[in-house]
Amino acid sequence: MAVSKVLLVDDEPHIRRIGELSLKGVGKWKVVLASSGYEALEAAARESPDVILLDVMMPGMDGQETLLELRAREATAAIPIIFMTAKVQKHEVDRYRELGAAGVIPKPFDPMSLPGQIVDILASYASPRP
Amino acid sequence: MKAAPLPGDEIERLAALSEAALLDTPPEPAFDDLTRLAAAICRTPIALVSLIDRDRQWFKSRVGLDASETPREVAFCAHAILGEELFLVADAHEDDRFADNPLVTAAPNVRFYAGAPLATADGHNVGTLCVIDHGPRQLDDEQRNALMALARQVAAQIDLRRTNGRLAKVNGELVARAREAQVVIEQRKVVERIKNEFVSTVSHELRTPLTSIRGALGLLEGGVLGPLSEGAMELVQIARANTDRLVRLVTDILDLEKIEAGKLDLSPTHVDVRQLVSSLVDSLAPVAAEARVEVWADVRGDMEVVVDEDRIAQVLTNLMSNALKFSPSEERVELRVEAMAEGRVRFAVRDRGPGIAEADLARLFNRFEQLDGGGPRKKGGTGLGLAISKAIVEQHGGTIGVASKLGQGSTFWFEVPRRSVETRRNPEAGLGGSAYHR
Repeated sequence: MAVSKVLLVDDEPHIRRIGELSLKGVGKWKVVLASSGYEALEAAARESPDVILLDVMMPGMDGQETLLELRAREATAAIPIIFMTAKVQKHEVDRYRELGAAGVIPKPFDPMSLPGQIVDILASYASPRP
Repeated sequence: MKAAPLPGDEIERLAALSEAALLDTPPEPAFDDLTRLAAAICRTPIALVSLIDRDRQWFKSRVGLDASETPREVAFCAHAILGEELFLVADAHEDDRFADNPLVTAAPNVRFYAGAPLATADGHNVGTLCVIDHGPRQLDDEQRNALMALARQVAAQIDLRRTNGRLAKVNGELVARAREAQVVIEQRKVVERIKNEFVSTVSHELRTPLTSIRGALGLLEGGVLGPLSEGAMELVQIARANTDRLVRLVTDILDLEKIEAGKLDLSPTHVDVRQLVSSLVDSLAPVAAEARVEVWADVRGDMEVVVDEDRIAQVLTNLMSNALKFSPSEERVELRVEAMAEGRVRFAVRDRGPGIAEADLARLFNRFEQLDGGGPRKKGGTGLGLAISKAIVEQHGGTIGVASKLGQGSTFWFEVPRRSVETRRNPEAGLGGSAYHR
């Protein structure tokens, strides 16, 4: 499945900007930004992105809660979700997998290779688990 | 009436009596059996086990008497404890010491008294086993011997109580100490947990701004925002390289904390060593090219091992990077892998750099150890690589070491069992590892 539109969710404005430049400038994709879990739900339903990049540590609804909500809604349930986070200890990564994430990209990430990493993850990802 | 003087061991005697914890306790068959026997054998209406306290005599067991205690001054038994033999008063009326004693002139009208001292194992007379009659009497030899024998039995009971008392006290101390130790353990667990959370939180807090910095520099360096002047590009590259170094340091520190806490988790899988080595060599190609050092790898045989691929790769990268840093240009760094006896596999990385003095070899694998001359820290290292490598290798059940001579280069080697035998510092459920999407 080719990627043309990405939803990037992070509460840090600088990271949103870096991510946007990377996905647009290197990946050549359309980018939608959201600064919270709540915004993400609304943006995902409205924009139907091909993949969602989701920060884990966010105030209010955190990344894991957001994933569960996205999965629970018919409009967004099938969109693959990739976590982007500094919290990549083994037990945490196992938990992300259990929740149904397609993959994890550790922070700090390399903006030049971020789009490539996303493509690789999606290529090895089977159909999303319910 | 003549009151008995105090015995020479009065203080120790009272201590022994107190240790037995018998005073003012209810009657017990163990003692009552013996007083009944004494009364029967000596044919007296009264038999007592009398304990001489500071100011009174108190009866642990009594036959034929209602009173449970009397003042010490009037006690016949207070005289009896002064000697080792049976204390006999054939007729109290004829004895100056006792003729006007209230216990004689009024109830219970003591006329005949025979008291055998109760001697503890450590030689203190805590009281008597005595028999009393209302008329003048004698005891024959058999009765006297029997009375002494029964007294020995009573004394044995008293010693038993003392031992029990001592044991109970020690037990109490042990229980208290065990509780204290448990409190300390719980406190240490709390401290450990706070420390681990702190390290994990700090690591995350550091990585967040580093993400933005690294990202911005990466984009500039990658030309995504247009070309940069040569000078600007140089600075951006310096900044980006040092950001990468900071990120490695944060990762290494977190790794090391996990290792110290025994929380490094291995995920062993089947690994094709040739492939592992081949990717490693590829990834090192840019660094090797820049240092103008050749990388030479030799893997003997078709090798499959069961190890944590990422972690063993981490060790190999560490050793190879160090070798490349220290190798002179136009030289080569050699990686050899071979199967050893007893199901072990040996990896050895050889460089022809300056070598290491024998005195320094032992310290190498300590964390933050950096040998003089700048070395790895000057060249972008964190000083933690060898310590982490050692921990990873040892957790696989392997060994790591170095052979080196000044002026002749160094060989860093490690051996792991073909099938890693996980050997942890502490058996704790774990953290560790890397993103699973690879």
